[in-house]
Amino acid sequence: MGADPASGGLMLRGLVKRYGAVEAVAGIDLEIRRGEFLTLLGPSGSGKTTLLMMIAGFQDATEGEILLDGQPITATPAEKRNFGMVFQGYALFPHMTVRDNIGYALSVRHRPKPEIAARVAEMLELVQLQGMDDRLPAQLSGGQQQRVALARALVFSPPVLLLDEPLGALDRKLRIEVQEQLKDLHRRVGTTFVYVTHDQEEALSMSDRVVIMRAGRIEQVGTPEDLYTRPRTEFAASFLGKSNFIDRDGRRFSIRPERIDLLPLGAGRSRGRVLSLSYFGPLLKYRIETPDHGVLEVDVDAWRGGVALAAGAEVGLDWTDEAAMPLEK
Amino acid sequence: MQDKQFMRETVTEAAHAFRAGRLDRRSFLALCGMAGVALPSVLAGRAEAAAGEIVMWNWGGQSEECHGSAIGAPFTAETGIPLKFDTSGPLQGKIKEMVDSGNVTADVCDADLFDAVALGATGHLEPIDYAVVSKDKTLPGYALEFGTSIILYGYAFMYDTEAYPDGAPTSWTDFFDVAKFPGMRSLYKWANGSLEAALMADGVARDALYPLDLDRALARITAIKDSTIYWGSGSEAHDMIVNGEVSMGMVWQNRGRNIEQETNGRYKMVMNGAIAMPGAYIVPKGNAGGVEAVMKFIAVSQSVDAQLGLFSCLGMTPTNSEAVAMLSAEDAPYAITSEANMAVIALNDPTWWGQNTDAAVNAFLEAIS
Amino acid sequence: MTRTQRLNPAWFLVAPLLALVAVMFAGPLVNILWLSFTDPEPGIANYAALIEKASLQKLLWTTLRVCLITTVLSVVLGYSIAYAMANVAESSRQRMMLFILISFWISVLVRTFSWIMLLGRNGLLNNGLIELGLISEPIAFVRNELGVLIGMVHYMIPYAVLPILAAMQGIDGRVLQASRNLGASPAQTFWRVYLPLTKPGVIAGALLVFILSLGFYVTPAILGGGKVLMVAEYISVQVLITLKWGTAAMLAVLMLGSVLGLLYVLSRFMKLSAALGGGRT
Repeated sequence: MGADPASGGLMLRGLVKRYGAVEAVAGIDLEIRRGEFLTLLGPSGSGKTTLLMMIAGFQDATEGEILLDGQPITATPAEKRNFGMVFQGYALFPHMTVRDNIGYALSVRHRPKPEIAARVAEMLELVQLQGMDDRLPAQLSGGQQQRVALARALVFSPPVLLLDEPLGALDRKLRIEVQEQLKDLHRRVGTTFVYVTHDQEEALSMSDRVVIMRAGRIEQVGTPEDLYTRPRTEFAASFLGKSNFIDRDGRRFSIRPERIDLLPLGAGRSRGRVLSLSYFGPLLKYRIETPDHGVLEVDVDAWRGGVALAAGAEVGLDWTDEAAMPLEK
Repeated sequence: MQDKQFMRETVTEAAHAFRAGRLDRRSFLALCGMAGVALPSVLAGRAEAAAGEIVMWNWGGQSEECHGSAIGAPFTAETGIPLKFDTSGPLQGKIKEMVDSGNVTADVCDADLFDAVALGATGHLEPIDYAVVSKDKTLPGYALEFGTSIILYGYAFMYDTEAYPDGAPTSWTDFFDVAKFPGMRSLYKWANGSLEAALMADGVARDALYPLDLDRALARITAIKDSTIYWGSGSEAHDMIVNGEVSMGMVWQNRGRNIEQETNGRYKMVMNGAIAMPGAYIVPKGNAGGVEAVMKFIAVSQSVDAQLGLFSCLGMTPTNSEAVAMLSAEDAPYAITSEANMAVIALNDPTWWGQNTDAAVNAFLEAIS
Repeated sequence: MTRTQRLNPAWFLVAPLLALVAVMFAGPLVNILWLSFTDPEPGIANYAALIEKASLQKLLWTTLRVCLITTVLSVVLGYSIAYAMANVAESSRQRMMLFILISFWISVLVRTFSWIMLLGRNGLLNNGLIELGLISEPIAFVRNELGVLIGMVHYMIPYAVLPILAAMQGIDGRVLQASRNLGASPAQTFWRVYLPLTKPGVIAGALLVFILSLGFYVTPAILGGGKVLMVAEYISVQVLITLKWGTAAMLAVLMLGSVLGLLYVLSRFMKLSAALGGGRT
């Protein structure tokens, strides 16, 4: 059922996409490893969707090249690239049944009917839509449509699956459920997933590696842990999770809210006054005004914090040297 | 039709009341709606005709102007009754519908004499009062019970002088001979004239055409079908010739002179075998202007001045022999019943056409389509 | 619920209008139906003529043939035009729409005579071809069935373009990308995705063209040179010249019945409102 394990490695070299004077993608060099789950994360306008469309072949590169397993495919038309794709809004064929939607890629490749039928059944099972064969897309729920879109894109065992904000149309509860399913699916099919989203939680929970994009460029690439614990720029630090920024010795450092400890007044490196606190289940979130670093956010494990401090209370603050990550200028 | 008659009268009364301001617009419209009568037909039609005038139903274009100056002016001068026009074309079906509907908005129709035969027999026309209208001012046999011929028009053919430099066609026999005279032809689409022409081409004498032998005529017509196109209106016949679509084309005889002038003589009309058609004035039954006034109108149209006026204006030939005699030597050849022409033309038999139009037209259409 | 509650008072407001429609619209229709069974004498003779008279069968066959060919050609050409319009920049599309609408506004008589000027024996095209030495005898483009088809197709194309264009503009471009992405060639994408998605527009356009063609009168009468006799002209002749109102009424009933029957059959396959509104099902 899985993809060819020897295929699916992508290399992007110096990719640029210009619309007149506007650079939507401004020079991207990136290796996407065979079989990995890679997420392009960024705010809207960061070029992540344009980059995905260039990989898919729907947008021509102004400069640069794309290699699949070492072979250039920059000039290969979209229909010859053999990449699966899940579109924003799914783009299912509204006039075809679930069966015909899923079997489409095989049918346009003139595969024998029994093979198509068997493969469609297999895919329906994979995405748990058995018995829905004859439904039209309009007769399915959003989550079901999303699964049909996945099955349709995976049916021909593509080496690479491109996903363009595939969970955007789902409600929050369903989204978390589908994230699990996607991760599970990725493990089982072994295909390279290139996933575009602006949702940091999705990026962190599913990806092997995350590419943070900003204004057409790569801001930072790394595993979710890397990016979270060692953000290299202020943008990366604030886009992925919350961060406090402090300046020392002419440099700027990022400290995650949970890395700051609250101590009795007088202890620790710094001091401050509680402005407010809010209760987030396992966490207590404090906003503390300090004389030398402005307002800092501090997260404390609720079960360990004992009695919560009231607004106006004076406290000492402390963090380890490793907790303060130096940022590039 | 009794109830329609009643409704029509009700609405006409209402129209008068509405005009006089005795009835408000909404009530008037409601009344029209109840009676199932379209408002314009009431306002423009009966209500108008009722106001002591004669409405002439003709074909518009030049004829409105010509009828107005040639007959309307002397008629109004003599009787004080104004002449108005409805130019939508008084086809038999429309006259029948008008009389049947009970809303007779026209007093006199510029129609054909065969219409008088057909519609007279079905009770749609007022008889002509020959105490007022003269039987002597038309051709023998063209003063019928329900209509009298006022003018004559007819069917003749024209040919392209450049197409036949070695010898011009001179008869319907030549017209139907595409081997000797190659080129496209045109004929009238609704059978009239075309059938007579075909029979003459087939050797039938011009005074022995009726009753028409339909099969014989249609055989002749279908024989040249591939080289024939058919026209339905005078302007179409005209265009087919001046646009060079045909080498020989049937035309309405009264238009031939214009075409000769327009093409600088390149196309010439052949009067030999032309078929004279009696145009007639007929009166729809129950006309609003009253029988007396309309008979007077018809009588005026028989006068020499009126007839000469129509000839110079429309090219229609007078029926009044006195008027024909007054035509100049230059005009006489274009008058279909001039002394010289009478020796070569055929005269349409309105009685045969009045009784056989449906069969003849449908057989003709079937043959050419 | 009482009776008065059930009767919406709004009905009282529209009642006069409904009555007017009934009198002005339904009345004449009933009258025509009545005539077809009573003129010239009561019975079904007018309808029996359909079976007995070869001339009527030929008339109907000519009408059907011309209308069907017109429909097919108008839809095929209209589809191409609509496709071009759907795939150009907005400014070009508006310019093209203007051309479509201009031809919409030209009277049918003017167009008909223009065709004769252009395609007649002595027309621009024939003269040009003779001048160039490509032909020696003029080609009969008009005054025959070909002429009727040219004139009718030209008149009908806008009616085909508008609903088809609406359907094309309603297509989500991502669906077409999806097809390409799944490995379909441009031709496969067209036949399997694009065409089916524009089907409601095609059906609406075809329906519109066919029904309008059935009633065509001036174009066949003139461009056909009198040799292409279609029902509308025949009805008019029977009403105005031969006074065979029973035959005319029977043919009118037949036409109306065919159109309603066609709409009924189509309504069983698709949502008619969607087709006639040019939207998507």
